Amino acid sequence: MKDLMRIKCLISEDIETLLNQQIKKEAHSSSLYLSMASWCNQNGYDFSSDYFTKQSEEERMHQLKLFKYVLDMGGNAISPEVTGIKTDFAGFREVFEDALEAEIAITQSFKNLASRCLKEQDFVTMEFLNWFLKEQREEEYKARRALELFEVIGEEGTGRWEIDKHVNDITYSED
Amino acid sequence: MEKACIDINQLINVFSNYEGAVYQSDKLNCFYVDFGGKFARYNCLSLQKLKKVVEEIDIEALLLNTHRADFELVTFNGCEHVYLLNALEIIALKDLLHGTFTMFNLNHIVNDCLYRLVY
Ligand SMILES: [Fe+2]
Ligand SMILES: [Fe+2]
Repeated sequence: MKDLMRIKCLISEDIETLLNQQIKKEAHSSSLYLSMASWCNQNGYDFSSDYFTKQSEEERMHQLKLFKYVLDMGGNAISPEVTGIKTDFAGFREVFEDALEAEIAITQSFKNLASRCLKEQDFVTMEFLNWFLKEQREEEYKARRALELFEVIGEEGTGRWEIDKHVNDITYSED
Repeated sequence: MEKACIDINQLINVFSNYEGAVYQSDKLNCFYVDFGGKFARYNCLSLQKLKKVVEEIDIEALLLNTHRADFELVTFNGCEHVYLLNALEIIALKDLLHGTFTMFNLNHIVNDCLYRLVY
């Protein structure tokens, strides 16, 4: 008997489902960052607003990268419905706390996906995921560093103005 | 159509239970689901969709909800077939498709061992 399902598609149903969930999570991150950009802009934190707008674009790029992979492997990529995006934040600091929390959730999700790949011996998808695992290093690093500015500079006086000014200086280098 | 089709295309019985059966045609690269008085043809994608739709039916909710009939319409966009099934039939279809996909996985392993991984 021909292995028709495998002929049609390289990835298993479980991996396809997890990848589609990841597509949704990236779309959610993208919307959340845009929401943060809006809040920052309205509250006078222009540099942070730019920072989050850029982050939003990156998340959209991640979403499309996953989307393409599912289709390239013969799977069914699902355009996700994104709901329940937080639009109001208690303060400037909370925006960055939420950003780090969101990145941590994404890292955990990729680790879970990777462990599923290893369990199934889907080394093809595993290799594809390596790009994202590496990307998460940078993403978490940047979010953590941004939050640390609140400790280093402090929020008193012109503190928040100073923090906003330095958000875009955060860069990650492997070396 | 049923018996004739089975003979002509040398259909392979993938899985059957007390309510129906699923066949595969290696010649036409498609499947036939013999269920609910229908002998319906599916391709890979539509069979997966059917499974997804059937899996998502909540039997408990169907039985507990007194505001509606205990029947469910089973179909999806692009599907030529429509099933009107009661709870017991849905359980049988869930079982049939679950068994079918388990056999697909088993066949995948067998194909790997017999043909793809031998050197
Ligand atoms: Fe991302
Ligand atoms: Fe990210």
